[in-house]
Amino acid sequence: MARGGGNRSRLLLVLLLVSSLFLITLDLRGVNLAGTFRSGVSTAVSPVENLFSRLFSPIGNFASDIRNFGQSKSKISELEKQVDLLKSKEVLDEDVIGQLAQLKSVLDLAGRGGYKVVAAKVINRGSSSSFNQTITIDVGSSDGISRNMTVISDGGLVGVVKSVSSNSAIVLLMSDPTFKIGVRITGTQSIGVVSGQGGNKYLLQLLDATGEIKVGDTLVARGSEEGRPFVPGVPVGTVTTVQSNASSITQNADVEGLSNLDRVGLVAVVVSGPKQDPRDSLIPKPAPTVTVFVTPTPTPSATN
Amino acid sequence: MSGLRVLNTSIFLFIVFLIQETVIARIKFPIDGFSLYLAALMVLLSLEDRSGSIVFGFIGGLIMDLSIAADTPFGQWALILTLIGYLFSLNKESIGDFTQSPIIFIMFISLASAFALIVYLAIGALLGQNNGTLSHLISIVFANSFWTFLITPLFLPLIIKTRTALLSNRERI
Repeated sequence: MARGGGNRSRLLLVLLLVSSLFLITLDLRGVNLAGTFRSGVSTAVSPVENLFSRLFSPIGNFASDIRNFGQSKSKISELEKQVDLLKSKEVLDEDVIGQLAQLKSVLDLAGRGGYKVVAAKVINRGSSSSFNQTITIDVGSSDGISRNMTVISDGGLVGVVKSVSSNSAIVLLMSDPTFKIGVRITGTQSIGVVSGQGGNKYLLQLLDATGEIKVGDTLVARGSEEGRPFVPGVPVGTVTTVQSNASSITQNADVEGLSNLDRVGLVAVVVSGPKQDPRDSLIPKPAPTVTVFVTPTPTPSATN
Repeated sequence: MSGLRVLNTSIFLFIVFLIQETVIARIKFPIDGFSLYLAALMVLLSLEDRSGSIVFGFIGGLIMDLSIAADTPFGQWALILTLIGYLFSLNKESIGDFTQSPIIFIMFISLASAFALIVYLAIGALLGQNNGTLSHLISIVFANSFWTFLITPLFLPLIIKTRTALLSNRERI
């Protein structure tokens, strides 16, 4: 293995490694180099993200479409008929309708909770240089958004604002493994902590070892002081499995999130919390079942 | 290596970074994600000379540190990719052999991307970062490597042509 030009390369390496370590040290000591640069990049990039969000929204879900390719093939002929039918009608933009419905639901949830919110559109997801699960939204400090504000969707909690630039903000999703939130079980009022696990499943750890958890229990946010980072009453998830482990000090359960983070397109950032804790008023109510009572009338007997 | 080429290549890397952050990051891959930027940078580092690998590793890392969603100290990626660039420069001849066969070169790029992520996790762990469960991390590294292997052939010729175009006349000779 040749090692020619070694001295020059080694000198360059040492110089650049020292520079990197210097930058890391500055950052860890609180010199906000990263914030300044990243905020600048964010300000420059968000208009481009907005543009691409409009242009590329149809290909955003291409991978899931590929997964359903087998099923799609059988649906093609059916869809072709539907296309012809739709052409004869006034075609409305399904995307816009979906977004309107989502917006209506999220504003409805915010209204019931007494939250003052700013609606936002998701313009980007994730990052190439971080393992954090995040989304980028199209509102920022110019819209009154600041760090540690709760972000909700029509289903419930989505995450918390992690960083803000003038016209966009990064939201740390509740599915991120570093995400933790204090919750209350609506029925038993037991309290616990829900942590992200990387997907739409979460782990609930009850703080009270004698507390009860049942499958189907709904969890709501307990809320933080002055509503930062979490406003009280936001629905978080539903218990799907109770983990029974005699050796464990705390009781654990698997929780399914009420917000589908893969499909979230519109969200609302809670800029100010409610005057009163909404308690359990935001929990999704099951659809009422219609019961029909039928009293059989006696069949008239044939008379001779 | 001329200053102008360093500037041109940095601008090229920044454009790839913008494409990654604005377009590729939007795509929901079936199993986690793909980093076009990391793959393009690995291609570039493997084609550069000894000092070029180290310099562009550092610059590429600094650009990656600009990611708006990153929650890591500024300079972490610069440190990692400088080290990766140095490893590339040490093994220049072996890597040169890989570039002769496209399929082996693509396999090498996939493995190099995965290795960069593993070094990132290792240094992150030393700095006390919590990046999630082991299975979650393994799936991310594996998925990145898998998608890099599948997608790199689509843009590899473009990266190579762009790099050639960015070379100065003296470097081409």
